[in-house]
Amino acid sequence: MTNVKISNRHVDVYYGDNHAIKDVSIDILDKTVTAFIGPSGCGKSTFLRCLNRMNDTISSCRITGDILMDGEDIYAKSVDPVQLRARVGMVFQKPNPFPKSIYDNVAYGPKIHGLVDNKTDLDEVVELSLKRAAIWKEVKDRLNESGTSLSGGQQQRLCIARAIATAPEVLLMDEPASALDPIATAQIEELIDELRHQYSVVIVTHSMQQAARVSQKTAFFHMGDMVEYGDTTEIFTNPVDQRTQDYITGRFG
Amino acid sequence: MPENTHIVSAFDKDLAEIQNKISEMGEHAAKVLTTALKAVKKRDAVLAQEAIDMDKVLDNFEEEIEERATQVIALRQPMAQDLRVLISAIKIATTLERIGDLSKNIARRALYLSDGGKIKITGSIVQMGKATRQQLDSIMTAHKSLDSDLAVEIWQTDVELDEMYNSIFREVVTYMMDDSRMIGAGSQLLFIAKNLERIGDHTTHISEMIYYIVNGKPLGDERPKGEPLGFRAED
Repeated sequence: MTNVKISNRHVDVYYGDNHAIKDVSIDILDKTVTAFIGPSGCGKSTFLRCLNRMNDTISSCRITGDILMDGEDIYAKSVDPVQLRARVGMVFQKPNPFPKSIYDNVAYGPKIHGLVDNKTDLDEVVELSLKRAAIWKEVKDRLNESGTSLSGGQQQRLCIARAIATAPEVLLMDEPASALDPIATAQIEELIDELRHQYSVVIVTHSMQQAARVSQKTAFFHMGDMVEYGDTTEIFTNPVDQRTQDYITGRFG
Repeated sequence: MPENTHIVSAFDKDLAEIQNKISEMGEHAAKVLTTALKAVKKRDAVLAQEAIDMDKVLDNFEEEIEERATQVIALRQPMAQDLRVLISAIKIATTLERIGDLSKNIARRALYLSDGGKIKITGSIVQMGKATRQQLDSIMTAHKSLDSDLAVEIWQTDVELDEMYNSIFREVVTYMMDDSRMIGAGSQLLFIAKNLERIGDHTTHISEMIYYIVNGKPLGDERPKGEPLGFRAED
């Protein structure tokens, strides 16, 4: 169906003595939405943050195993984490636009990464990114207003526009809709479905219904283990592992 | 049911309530069938009418189960086995309602037969009726405890009802050929036997639902079936 974008082999993550991720092997597919689900503290966000080296900033964090994007080790010495994060974008739970204009929020990435040569190209990237993030119509006449003046749902779509402005190959989303109302949530979900035609999307979510709605593949994490990974339809209708069944049906595990 | 309970206990109550409603409905369907069979055996018009009237309650059961299951799906967004229990509840309720309709049809034919004299052949029909009733009881037991093995067993042994039907068919047709005055009553008996055979098929449909609830996949369609019938009395 699709090919592997990020291959993870025997990944272990430690925070000091805490063994947060235990021997996880999973292939993240290209042009596919993969959902990570599991109870709080199960390691799903930790694992997500390994995929663009966001854990590098935590000094007590130690990662072993192989994480290969298109066959290349993303933890190799030759890899610049800043460059990596342009290829593997991230959207967080709380919308966090820069205290800058809407335009500058989106233009920032392409500028610092030197992806554009002139103002016309930059304008084009900003417009295209805002259009892809399904917010262009709402902001096109107010691009110079502050990003923080937007509503929560608009801010989140602005952050998505910012993340895709650097033309990433993978988009990581950590609870991207948990702070939004149902309408804004539906817009984000519609957007995720659009994005998967171009990117590999990985989403961490506490909303099982959301995982079921937006993803094609689902991985269930529990206490640092990846318990089960498979087609979303299978995971939610007929999971193999009792722990998965208990979690998705809302039972004590 | 999975041994673990839901964190939201009201969800467990909702599911249990629906499962209990189906058990009740099954018991009621069995009563309609038993009354209709008694009416056939005794050629009793009063009992026949009773069975016909009893069937109406099954329609209410079906409606109620459908409505409750739909509500729970909308309010609790069930997943995996919980979802299968609810979807199957709707299908099983429909199946039991059909079993009620077929029993009612048997009662209607009993009403017709009650006008005539005694018919020799009724014995085999009563036997087949008993076997059908037993099969219905067993499937409701399997449903109550979500016993997938028992459900499969019933699914496989339904072929016995098929064979009983085939043998009654031959018997009745021979009887009608011998005595053309018996064609009216004989036709009624044939329909009664056919209705019983259909009820048997419906119980196997419930078997399939139980298997699906427990295993999350269809039972398949390789069920053993009786030989197809020819139109000659003796092959």
